[in-house]
Amino acid sequence: MNANRTPWRYLPTHALDVARGPLLLFVLVSAGLALVIWRLVANEARPPAPDELLSGLVSGTLMIAVLFATGGTAGVDIKQGYYRAYFSKPMAPWWFYLQRWLLGGVAVMLVPLFLGLGLQLAMGNGTGLDWEIFGHVALGFLLVGGVVLLASTVTARDWLLAFMIYFLQARLQNVKDLFEVTGNELPWTVDKLHAILPPFHLAAPGKDLPTGTDLIHALAYGVALVTVALLVLAWRPLGSGGRA
Amino acid sequence: MIRFEGVSKTYTTLVTRKKVAALADFSLELNRGEVVGIAGPNGAGKSTLISLLLGFLKPTAGQVSIDGMTARDYVESRGVGYLTELVNVPGHLKVPDALGRIAVLAGIPRNQRATAVLDVMTRLGLDEHASKRVKQLSKGNLQRLGLGQAMLGDFEVMVLDEPTHGLDPVWTARFRDIVRELRRPDRVVLIASHNLDELEALSDKVAILDRGRLQQVVSSTAESHIDAINWRIVFEGEPDVAAKLHGASPVEGRPGSWRVTMTRADLSRGLGELLRDGAVLVECTPEQGRLSSAFHEAVGR
Repeated sequence: MNANRTPWRYLPTHALDVARGPLLLFVLVSAGLALVIWRLVANEARPPAPDELLSGLVSGTLMIAVLFATGGTAGVDIKQGYYRAYFSKPMAPWWFYLQRWLLGGVAVMLVPLFLGLGLQLAMGNGTGLDWEIFGHVALGFLLVGGVVLLASTVTARDWLLAFMIYFLQARLQNVKDLFEVTGNELPWTVDKLHAILPPFHLAAPGKDLPTGTDLIHALAYGVALVTVALLVLAWRPLGSGGRA
Repeated sequence: MIRFEGVSKTYTTLVTRKKVAALADFSLELNRGEVVGIAGPNGAGKSTLISLLLGFLKPTAGQVSIDGMTARDYVESRGVGYLTELVNVPGHLKVPDALGRIAVLAGIPRNQRATAVLDVMTRLGLDEHASKRVKQLSKGNLQRLGLGQAMLGDFEVMVLDEPTHGLDPVWTARFRDIVRELRRPDRVVLIASHNLDELEALSDKVAILDRGRLQQVVSSTAESHIDAINWRIVFEGEPDVAAKLHGASPVEGRPGSWRVTMTRADLSRGLGELLRDGAVLVECTPEQGRLSSAFHEAVGR
């Protein structure tokens, strides 16, 4: 028997899991939203512009979509002990989970497409798609998905941890915006905490895509999250932490 | 091929930071062609030892190497056939799908995968459960699935952790045949089990662990322990004849079924005297297996 040891050999299985899981859900949710929009706004005299509507829809679903596409990437296998059967075979955990995470990213990137097609079917005046919306989604996936992947190395409830961090950062952003409007100085601790936590606000659809240092900050933060997660998967034995 | 050199593993509790030694200064060498057993009571360190062998844990001290590589490097590059103690396969998968996924990871080429999965299912009697999901399998069938996933692929190291756990007597016997088939000159098979008879029947040597320490290595080819085994003799006749035997235990039982025990060294002479004095021999059996004897001696209970 000539063994197939290519590092890509599990990719089709991962792809099938993503297609039958998150991708199918995204299609169904997009279809459901299209139906709702068709019932609510299609017959209005002045329906909203598709790009504004799409931006709102993506903004409202991006976080959940990323959590659904990436949640439990490694954490569930580690908690349930599935890793024992998987990684007694010739496969590196970091590589296995990177592939799964990236395919989750592909599924998330298709969300605007599904929503846009749904809008076209519901209202018939365009998909509202532009490249900027995909830029927001990619950046959002890198940041939120990066937090999930890193959290996944230590807990099966990675999605919950990521959601809590996202929620905290969103509240801190609200506080920061409020202080900027009133002209008061932001408390030092709030300012530092906001700076330390992932810059989710930079990826929020509905705003301009970040440029310059903001873009570098967001990209570097996301890449760092993923890199640290992969290093943990590569160096920390999966049975550590009482999981032997 | 596999070397444990002064391996220790200490766990630290999360809150109190108390240190618990799961394995201490363990050294053992396993060579190609051998079937090696690991025996020990609960909490002896067997599972920790296997986790270290597969690189799922790092030793606190010492080193584990397979074919000159660190355990994790070896497993990631060449793989190991591994039956986990508690079979961990996602419950929502159907049996062929679960095995199919492991076949992919095991490196079985696409054009041979279906045949390999079917072959394993047939050998282990899982073909009749092909339409079931893993979570619908009984304990015994789940164990067979675990054994099946360990057998997928062609690996030089096989690790079987409590392989007959949950198996009925028929499949326990079948498992012994399977292990005999797994034996190859270029392969090491490691079996961790509570079942001493099973280890004695299958292994070339058995390492006895207790409280994280290697107590003894019993070789199945060595004769040294045979003399230590007590033999039980059941006979009919007058009990007085046995009371005079050298090295025999006090006579117990009732008329028609008297029992004494004696060591192997005294056995032949004792039997001769019994029969000469008119006793009728009903039974003459070793009280416990050689490994069992060594095990109880090693763990002191």
